[in-house]
Amino acid sequence: MTARACGRAGVGIGLRAQHLREILERLPALAFVEVHSENYFGDVAAAALERVRRDYAVSLHGVGLSLGSSDPLDEQHLAKLDELARRIDPIFVSDHLSWSSIDGRFLNELLPLPFTREAAAHTASRISRAQDRLGRVLLVENVSAYCTLGPGEMSEWEFVSEVARRSGCRLLLDVNNIHVNAANLGFDGQRYIEGIDPALVAQFHLGGHEARDAMLVDTHGARVAREVWSLFAEAVSHIGERPTLVEWDTDLPPLDVLLDEARAARLVIADGAARAAA
Amino acid sequence: MSALAARQREFARRLLDGPVDGEAGLAVYRASVLSNFTTALAATYPVVLRLVGESFFAEAARRFATAHPSTSGDLNQYGDQFPAFLAAYPHAASLPYLPDVARLEWACHESERAPEVAPFDFEALARIEPDRYGELRFSLHPSVRLMESAHPVVAIREANAPGRDGTPSRAEGRDFVLVRRVDGGAVVSSLDEGEWRLLSRIGGGEAAFDDSLARYVSQGVIAGFTAPPCER
Repeated sequence: MTARACGRAGVGIGLRAQHLREILERLPALAFVEVHSENYFGDVAAAALERVRRDYAVSLHGVGLSLGSSDPLDEQHLAKLDELARRIDPIFVSDHLSWSSIDGRFLNELLPLPFTREAAAHTASRISRAQDRLGRVLLVENVSAYCTLGPGEMSEWEFVSEVARRSGCRLLLDVNNIHVNAANLGFDGQRYIEGIDPALVAQFHLGGHEARDAMLVDTHGARVAREVWSLFAEAVSHIGERPTLVEWDTDLPPLDVLLDEARAARLVIADGAARAAA
Repeated sequence: MSALAARQREFARRLLDGPVDGEAGLAVYRASVLSNFTTALAATYPVVLRLVGESFFAEAARRFATAHPSTSGDLNQYGDQFPAFLAAYPHAASLPYLPDVARLEWACHESERAPEVAPFDFEALARIEPDRYGELRFSLHPSVRLMESAHPVVAIREANAPGRDGTPSRAEGRDFVLVRRVDGGAVVSSLDEGEWRLLSRIGGGEAAFDDSLARYVSQGVIAGFTAPPCER
C-alpha cells in the first residue's frame, strides 16, 4: 500500500480515462482507485496503469469474465487478466455475479442469473476455476437487475452467499444495486444486508441510479441517492468497515464531485464506527 | 442441455429478437446492450460518426450489432467487421470513401492495442557488413499498419479531427497510408508509393532493403531483423 492510503478500510473512487491526468497531477488522498480491467489489457494501456500504481493502490474490476455463463470459460480473457494482475499487483481483482454470453455470442451486459441451486453450483465452479488460474481469491459483485431469469429456489442474498461459500470467493457488495433490485424486484433491502454473513464481504460499492418509468436503472451517472446512503449505513453497521468505492461512468462529472462523494462515504463509515464504539 | 443454459439462451433470444412490449425489464436490457455497442463503435470510429451524423450512426450501429455479434467479453475487440459492413450498407453508398475511413480507424485502434517489443538491436546490425543488408529480413513493429486507399483518407481523417472544420486539404487521389504508434497513440501518415510498397514487402516477410529504410528504423516502424546464417 502507498503512503497515501488512509487506513485499513478507506474509500476509493473509480478512475476513468478522462480523470487520469488530473488525478496524477493533484494526487488526492484516496485509499485506492478502481479501473475496469479490460480497458488496460495490452502493453501500452498496462504501462499507463503502472504509472498510476506508483501513487495509488489499484483494484482491477472486470466486466468480461461472464462468470455465470453456460459457455466455457474464456481462457484467453483470463490469460490477459492474469498478465495485467502480475504487472499491477492489485489490492483486489473483481468481476460480477452475472452472465453476458451464450453460444459464443456476447451481449457485453451484466445479465441476471436465476437463483437456483444449479446456477449457484455452476457459477461457483467457474469462479473456482478462474481463481485457480489467477492464483488469487476473486471478489464477485452482486449486479443490478430489471427482471429475473425465471423462478428461483432462494432469495438473491442466499444465492450470492451460496456462490461465495462454494467457491471461496468474497463478495463485493454493491449497495446501490441492492437498493435498485429491492425497488425493481420487490424485496426489502435491509433484509438482504442482514442476510449476508459479514465474513463473506470484502468490499462495498456505491454508485448512482436514475428512475425511468417504473424502474430504477443503475446508470452510474448520478450522485449516490439518499436511500442508498441509509442502506450503506445499515451495511456498515451490520457488516463492518470495508474498503469502499464510489463509481461513476456515464456523464462523468469533474473529479471534485467524485472526491466529494468519497468524503461523504468516509463520514458514513466514521459515524458507523463511532456508533459501534458507543 | 442444462436448465441454466436453456434459460440463458431463451433470455438472449428474447432480448435480441423478441418483442419487448409490456416487459419493462427486458426493454431496459435491450436499450442498455444496444447503447453499449453503439458507444463502443463510436469510440473506435469517431471520424465515421462525424461524417454520417449521430442518428445515421446509431441506426448503422443497431443493424451492425444484429448482423455481427460481439465475440469477446472485452468490448475493445468489438467492431472489426464494421468497415466491411459499411462497404455493403446501401444507405452509405453515396459516401464511397466511408469504408476506407473506417478501415483506417480500425487500423489505428489495433495499433494502439498492439504489443510492445524490444527496441531495435543496433549493435547486432553493426556486426553485419553493409553490403549484406539486402539479405536481411527486417520486421515491422507490431503496432504498424499499412493500408492503401483509392481515396484521400489521411486528409479526410485530419479534417475531421476535433476542432477542425471537416474540409479535407485534398478531395481526390490515392493514399498509401502508414499507421504507427508514438507515445501510446496512433499516428497516421501518407507515404510515397515506392516506400509504402517496400514496407509492405517487409511486412510480408520478404528480404528487402534500400537506403530509405534508415528513417523507418529510427522511427521505430522497423523494429528488428533476422540475418541469414553466416558463411565464412
